[in-house]
Amino acid sequence: MEEKAIIVIQDLLKRYKNTAKNALDSLNLKVKQGDIYGLLGPNGAGKTSTISMLCGLLPPDSGEIIINGTNLRSKPDKVKAMIGVVPQEIALFEDLTAKENLMFFGRMHGLKKDEINRRGNDLLEKFSLTEKSNKRVKTFSGGMKRRLNLMVGIIHGPEILFLDEPSVGIDVQSKNVIIEYLKEINRSGTTIIYTSHLMEEAEKFCTEISIIDFGREITKGKPSELLENNKDCENLEDVFLKLTGRNVRE
Amino acid sequence: MNKLKAVIVKEILILSRDRAGMAMLFVMPVFLVLVMTLLQDSTFKQLDEKQLPVLIINHDADTFGLKILEGLKSSKFFKITEVENIDKQDFVQKIEKGEYLIGIIINEDATRRIRQSIQLNIQQQFPEEVGQLFEYEDNASGQARVEIIFDPILKSSYKQSILGSLKHFSAMVEARLMFEIYSGLFKDLLSIELKPTSSFDDIVNFDEKYASSGTNKIIPNSVQHNVPAWTIFAMFFIVIPLASNIIKERHSGVSARLLTIAGSKLISNLGKGMTYFVVGFIQAILMLFIGLFILPLFGLPSLQIGGNGLALLVVTIAVVMAATTYGIAIGNIATTEQQSSIFGSISVVILAAIGGVWVPSFMMSDLMLNLSKISPLNWGLNAYYDIFLRNSGLIDLLPNIALLLGFSFVCLFVSFLYSKRGLN
Repeated sequence: MEEKAIIVIQDLLKRYKNTAKNALDSLNLKVKQGDIYGLLGPNGAGKTSTISMLCGLLPPDSGEIIINGTNLRSKPDKVKAMIGVVPQEIALFEDLTAKENLMFFGRMHGLKKDEINRRGNDLLEKFSLTEKSNKRVKTFSGGMKRRLNLMVGIIHGPEILFLDEPSVGIDVQSKNVIIEYLKEINRSGTTIIYTSHLMEEAEKFCTEISIIDFGREITKGKPSELLENNKDCENLEDVFLKLTGRNVRE
Repeated sequence: MNKLKAVIVKEILILSRDRAGMAMLFVMPVFLVLVMTLLQDSTFKQLDEKQLPVLIINHDADTFGLKILEGLKSSKFFKITEVENIDKQDFVQKIEKGEYLIGIIINEDATRRIRQSIQLNIQQQFPEEVGQLFEYEDNASGQARVEIIFDPILKSSYKQSILGSLKHFSAMVEARLMFEIYSGLFKDLLSIELKPTSSFDDIVNFDEKYASSGTNKIIPNSVQHNVPAWTIFAMFFIVIPLASNIIKERHSGVSARLLTIAGSKLISNLGKGMTYFVVGFIQAILMLFIGLFILPLFGLPSLQIGGNGLALLVVTIAVVMAATTYGIAIGNIATTEQQSSIFGSISVVILAAIGGVWVPSFMMSDLMLNLSKISPLNWGLNAYYDIFLRNSGLIDLLPNIALLLGFSFVCLFVSFLYSKRGLN
């Protein structure tokens, strides 16, 4: 029996103003519930555009996005209530403390103060930020900011979590903490959609991978299946280079 | 409601930690209103009550000379210094050096010359057969002369003021002398003794009133202008921290992050607008407090706020709305913080300059006066003038309130259009 698809993308098309090519060119994807779904591709392939549309940040020119049975176009708020987003940039208030950021975003997700404090303290503990919780974010290191950025995206315990390059530019320890925690919440039922340039990380972390280029899906499958289908490749990076080419992108 | 509260708490925390922003919103306007009010106080006094220093030599110890002297001395516009035995060159030098702005020399025999001129005129009215009515003095022929020496820096309005006063006193003396001469003729020709008249001064009563709805007469002064003017200026300076805050959120990705949370963007914008609205309101209260209680400590008159509290509240709401929405518009139009702070500050300074904040619009040329009508700061200032000086009611204030609210609407509409810019 086929597993339930929690995200269905049908013929998604997007062209930005003053550009000649489609950013997304009839993209079709299906993400199963409980997946850690890696959306991989070179620069300009359409990863961030896809994530932005899935989060309701960017309207598609055409096509449909169905999340957990709800059409994003017709009921965006219902979909937004199910998702958590961890953007590529550090989307935090630098003049607020870690606790104040968690409190603010928790409140925006409709959580009560006690609940935010409980969840926030757990997260601060897990991500080793308890001692710094009352310090302003602008005094944090890159790794600390990246961890808090993730905490803010999951404070409300979303069913589906979108992560855009969550481990970019951070130290190995921070990256390890983040990946381990993501695996933990995935085990408790959170579906994760993740973009990255780090092929080794994706190979170890993801349960499903889709490589897209020029706004289209060019291959998909479990990491082991991708390697199986490309026997001349030693690892996912080789598969990636084989399918997307070795030319440097803009 | 909890979401809105969270946004307001967040905005207050961020604003309270922005020392430069707080100084710009609260310290700068207080400093400006104190300095500018004290600075402009003398200018307003010149317009209103400053006495012009006048040096006089009176060589005519008769009715004309004495009346002129008495009249000028009793006028609140002139500070009269009478000198005797001074060389004319020294006298002129005192004006040249700026010790006095005006010098007046009433020449010898002025009264006699006026009298003789009147007699000659009367003589011409009678038929020749009546014969010679008066005995003329040979040494009193020709016109009576009053020399007036002006400091070249003196404004023409002040020249007109002194000339007007002199002509007024001269006309009074001429009338008095004419009456005396006719009285003499009645007595000589008809043996009728006329009773002395009481006064020629108040035949016409010039009843001065201010165009104000109320009964209290509030004189425009430095405080009445500067407090509302710099209050509005301060309120519009909200654009800098507000626009900067919006751009920071956009650049950091917080703005996009909020868009991924159901209903949060609208609440975030509302909460931000409400917080800055309250800040603007606090600024207005602070500035009114300074006008009412602090400026008098510096020897300045207390701010008179009129008797229409509701109108004051409504106008303040309209001005704060215009300022806040202008900040939101700039925050959405500008692409960088630098751009917003430069454009925001320069545009507010220009709108303030043409709007009559720096120089009151009643002192402007026609061109600038017409130009001032495009500035929202001018609409706000005029509305405050209406309340403070003219005791106007809400109905009278509607045009300016409508302009301010219309401006707010346009700003919000532009903000909405620009906020969609990054999403396509």
